[in-house]
Amino acid sequence: MPDTVEPQVQQDVSTAIHRAFEANTAIYPTGGGTSLGFGLPARREGLGLSTASLNRVVDYPARDMTITVEAGITMKSLAETLAKENQLLPVDVPMADRATLGGVIATNWNGPRRFGYGNIRDYVIGIHAVDGHGRAFKGGGQVVKNVAGYDFCKLLTGSLGTIGVITQVTLKVKPIPEAFALATSSISNLEVAEHVLSRLVHSDTTPSAIELLAGPNWSSPLQLVVRLDGTRSEVEWMEERLAEELLHDTSLQTEMLRGEEAVPLWKQLVEFTSQESPLTIRANVVASGTTKIVEAAQSIDPNCSIQAHAGNGVVFVSFSEFPGEGLSRTILGQLQPLATSLHGSVIVVSNPSHSEMTHQCVWGGNHVAFSVASKIKHQFDPKDILNPGRFVYS
Amino acid sequence: MIHKLNPGLVNELRQIVGAESVLTAHSELLVYECDGFIIDKNSPDVVVFPRTTEQIASIVKACSVANVPFLPRGAGTSLAGGCMPVGGGVMIVLTRMKEILEVNLRDRYAVVEPGVVNVWLTQRLKGTGFHYAPDPSSQGACTIGGNVATNSGGPHTLKYGVTVNHVIGVEAVLADGSIVQFGGPTEDPVGLDLVGALVGSEGTLAIVTKVWVRLTRNPQGYRTMLGVFESVDDATNAISDIIGAGIIPAALEMMDRGILEALEAAFSFGFPLDAEAILLIEVDGLEAGLDEQRDQIIEICNARGVREVRQAVDEKERQKIWKCRKQAFGAIGRLSSSFCTQDGVVPRTKLPHILRRIKEIEKKYDLRIVNVFHAGDGNLHPILLFDERSAEQIERVLKASGEILEECLACGGSVTGEHGIGIEKIHYMDKMFSEDDLNAMRNLRDAFNPLNNLSPHKMLPTAGACGMEQKHPGRRAAL
Repeated sequence: MPDTVEPQVQQDVSTAIHRAFEANTAIYPTGGGTSLGFGLPARREGLGLSTASLNRVVDYPARDMTITVEAGITMKSLAETLAKENQLLPVDVPMADRATLGGVIATNWNGPRRFGYGNIRDYVIGIHAVDGHGRAFKGGGQVVKNVAGYDFCKLLTGSLGTIGVITQVTLKVKPIPEAFALATSSISNLEVAEHVLSRLVHSDTTPSAIELLAGPNWSSPLQLVVRLDGTRSEVEWMEERLAEELLHDTSLQTEMLRGEEAVPLWKQLVEFTSQESPLTIRANVVASGTTKIVEAAQSIDPNCSIQAHAGNGVVFVSFSEFPGEGLSRTILGQLQPLATSLHGSVIVVSNPSHSEMTHQCVWGGNHVAFSVASKIKHQFDPKDILNPGRFVYS
Repeated sequence: MIHKLNPGLVNELRQIVGAESVLTAHSELLVYECDGFIIDKNSPDVVVFPRTTEQIASIVKACSVANVPFLPRGAGTSLAGGCMPVGGGVMIVLTRMKEILEVNLRDRYAVVEPGVVNVWLTQRLKGTGFHYAPDPSSQGACTIGGNVATNSGGPHTLKYGVTVNHVIGVEAVLADGSIVQFGGPTEDPVGLDLVGALVGSEGTLAIVTKVWVRLTRNPQGYRTMLGVFESVDDATNAISDIIGAGIIPAALEMMDRGILEALEAAFSFGFPLDAEAILLIEVDGLEAGLDEQRDQIIEICNARGVREVRQAVDEKERQKIWKCRKQAFGAIGRLSSSFCTQDGVVPRTKLPHILRRIKEIEKKYDLRIVNVFHAGDGNLHPILLFDERSAEQIERVLKASGEILEECLACGGSVTGEHGIGIEKIHYMDKMFSEDDLNAMRNLRDAFNPLNNLSPHKMLPTAGACGMEQKHPGRRAAL
């Protein structure tokens, strides 16, 4: 672990980065440290910059359904604040007691409910950050609709702390739904799974999450979980309708979990990616390609565990052991070509062995987009002091 | 700053797209001298109509070599001068790239060329159970490429979000003529969110040549209501109460007495002309929840002294209500020969305050101001009526507009919710943003458009200088 500074106020972030800029010292921003394995390892020694003390609620006009907070607030603390007003940020994140909002935005982390509620980028309406010179800048504002200037809220989402350290965020939030239920079904094979998933696209119900689960982590070898959110009467209607649709069109039996019964499985779904594993990867493909990725992963490691946000084509594979043929052969040789054929990509989420962590393995290769991103990086951080090495910049 | 027509460049453009797709005659160029913002006008030197991405790349390269500025244009329905060619140059009109290339329901996306008119996609999707959610009031004319450039909103953005929430990928030609693809049919593209950076960049970062849009499942049902209020205060308080109660209607629009008069004259819908304000409230979703939401809304309106809440009896009546709302701007001609629309935003709890202030400003400047706007989002569209033959009236309109926008900023809002900065609001940028913020924006522009030859003099004031001051209010066409 490098030495770490912990700014107490946002201004201190500017000061610390400006100093680092002058001294050409690398800065490694951290929130709760829950995603440190995400991306490539650090390229050179430097200084940690923890946002942990930047955890204040700046303004919470609950009746406007917006909130302004400092970026180091934990997702749990944010959720507790919002819950007092019966509101939520519907982004499901593991280790919420440690994970910070700034970290979630910087890693563009999205959980199961992305299908129904959208992604973190859809909720950030204002953002403050500090660039690689130590200059504070902002984008967006406090209102839900605003097209003044370039959208730094989007640009910083997924930027991995490489073009700016996020210090403050304004979010729009949602009311907590009155009720929810989880519909679970065992599925016999992947062919049936794709049939079921394609049927769900046309469902009369409005699922907030569509999860396809496989492997020893889960209670059955292949399982579908659909989350239904809404008012009590809406959820009751959806439970009945969904069970009918699945039985009638795909011969699936459905079990409904409600209230307290549903909590353990839901927790498992949110926390899955935080479990230690010799290798975790994420594939992003078209939704219809989900089962193909599952099949390919299982052929590499029959004991892998998989959670797919199947409505969105986002597949997490947690390998039971580090692939015997190595990372390059597994990813570059097999999974990436498959994902490319499904219009998407594969990235490494965590690889504790650090073996073969080349940028081709970790980030794949949209070289055109990377070269544009590099130009932006150079504008915001010309000395490459913000999280150097983490992402591929030329 | 007029660019002398460069005959070599014109010949090259003719070779790229064919002579019939290049306009150079003054009379033909006049059509392209402005968008819906008609105060500042300037003709391009040449207009070209490419049909392919490769043609656009060649055009851009030719312009760069000739050192001539260039910019894209869709249908020209934008309202802030985003596609006005400051300093002339080559205008690349994208309306011949109008194919819907793919509709994929299984993976919930469509791929369209930039010149596809917004409503064409809606029509193509009819019967599929899906739709493309962003529905600007100009959707019958505006193009999806233009929607991407301006990050367009519309009445239903309250629940469904604006354009950027529904665009998952773009193909674009950069200012150096290279062709790039950011995002695509899959989510979470690796690296920076360049799709998010391009949407709403008002044509200053790249020319979008293909768009991947997310498709949204149609709601099972609707309840569309008109709440008739005796006072604007009661209506705006009801809006704030509805949002505060955690209800997210699909749309929540307000029309005041002034606009109702014009609408009634135009459409004979049967709006009560003695009401001070009408709220158009639509909830959508599962039938199982709609009556409950409707009743809750009626209860809130009752608590705020609503005279009556009328519900659309059938789909036909619902469509008629929406026609009135979306064509409201066409009806304003009945009130005044010229008008100027503002596009400020305030936090929703500040709506009662800002509407009172607008009333005071109306009195102070002895003007008539009518209101029809996206109330649920806090996105105002005060319409200032005037006679453009009177220089003295024009001055009052400008002062009143400025005061309204300043008040929006004082409330913690924005000077534009959906129309954009363009050239119209460029002098407000330094009121919303610090010099460091603006420099960060210039940095982003320089990464994409280092020579600033792609749509120059837009959105960002020149560093260290005052922005363009507005001399005339505009006669805007839509909202």
